[in-house]
Amino acid sequence: MPDWFKWTAPAAALVSVTSAAHAVQYLSIPQAQKLAFPSASQFVETQAGRAWKAQAGGRTLGLFVFDHVIGKHLYIDYAVALDPGGRILRVEILQYRESYGGEVRQASWLAQFVGKTSASPLAINQDIRNISGATLSSHHVTEGVKRILAAYGHGLR
Amino acid sequence: MACDSLRRARPLLGTIVEIAAAGLPERDLDAAIEAAFAAVEKVHRLMSFHDPESDVSRLNRGAASGPVSVDPWTFAVIEAATDLHRRSRGLFDVTVASALQDLGLLPRLESSFPPPSDGSATGEAVETLPGHRIRFRHAGVRIDLGGIAKGFAVDHAQQALQAHGATGGLVNAGGDLAAFGPRAMPVHIRDPREPSRLLAQVEVMNEALASSGARFDPFGSPAAMAPAVIDARTRQPARAVAGVTVRARSCMLADALTKVAMIAGEAASDLLDGFAASALLVLNTGEVRVSASWQVSRAA
Repeated sequence: MPDWFKWTAPAAALVSVTSAAHAVQYLSIPQAQKLAFPSASQFVETQAGRAWKAQAGGRTLGLFVFDHVIGKHLYIDYAVALDPGGRILRVEILQYRESYGGEVRQASWLAQFVGKTSASPLAINQDIRNISGATLSSHHVTEGVKRILAAYGHGLR
Repeated sequence: MACDSLRRARPLLGTIVEIAAAGLPERDLDAAIEAAFAAVEKVHRLMSFHDPESDVSRLNRGAASGPVSVDPWTFAVIEAATDLHRRSRGLFDVTVASALQDLGLLPRLESSFPPPSDGSATGEAVETLPGHRIRFRHAGVRIDLGGIAKGFAVDHAQQALQAHGATGGLVNAGGDLAAFGPRAMPVHIRDPREPSRLLAQVEVMNEALASSGARFDPFGSPAAMAPAVIDARTRQPARAVAGVTVRARSCMLADALTKVAMIAGEAASDLLDGFAASALLVLNTGEVRVSASWQVSRAA
């Protein structure tokens, strides 16, 4: 039987895994609107910050609904595009933010911010974290999509 | 907005699926990512345990009474599952769905099903026939492809990116991931005992990586819950190790082999070797063990 080796994290690796948050901005609201309704000429806000009618030449192409789910350690902005009949065209994650506990207090972690100013912002997207591990459920987003369907899925007049 | 790489995410396969692609003009990247999501959506549609119209549901309803035709993709996953069942001497088993139901980890959707199996139904009860047909040898067999389909979806999403000409990319289905291209991707592995902490970082380049461990709910408690991997011999959650990460040439293999390693722990090393896969185990004591080839595959 092949051997297993005891593994200990090298000191350098420990520093690199200590981080307060994992955040990814995938799309802004206008970008997501354009992606969902490429032929729309305008998006008419029907509910402030939440719902927009996608229109082209006086015709309604569908509805774009923005929402978020917030938990203790996870924050997800997402959008649902519905066709005029109230059917889901697409569900897209706009932003994802996850916070980690514990290690934030470590001095080595805090050290990485020394010398950072607004001119040298922490460019999270330039070193995007990819994470593998315990099974993350998308249950809360799925529930949110169901609530949006219940509220807006009756179709547009 | 001019850029040569894009990253998108959608809720699919019961998790958040993230797809990134690089090396094309933005419009072509959009098309590549769209095609990759379409592949994931197809797997979701065909292999969902929850959707009554999926191939899996049709099999669970009818394959004990006679052969049922399925999509070539579903057939390919079941063939691979059957092969893994044989090579792992029964440790990898897609027929543990009723045990997952007994534990409340899968819903009971149907009232017309025969009562849950008495344990006689195992992976050997699934028969693959010519013409993409599947038959179950006993009544009461229920399959759940959750332990392998996610990896298969990642592989097909990656193939879609490559078919569209992307020169680099990453598909991450809630931690089951594959990366291709000239750049090594840093991947952080969660601590399975405390998923809100990161345990290690590895570099992934032209290979796949998948992890199994506890389930967790970052919306409520960050604490780990019972693992969702079932030991077919005891029909109880596998507890040999706290968590496992497997690197392999395909994500389907990596995904499926994490289930075997969760059950067998260090005894899975021969099987891992046979598939040219390597693993990192987090023992219940908190110690971390890596297989001999872990560092080698890292450098590859």
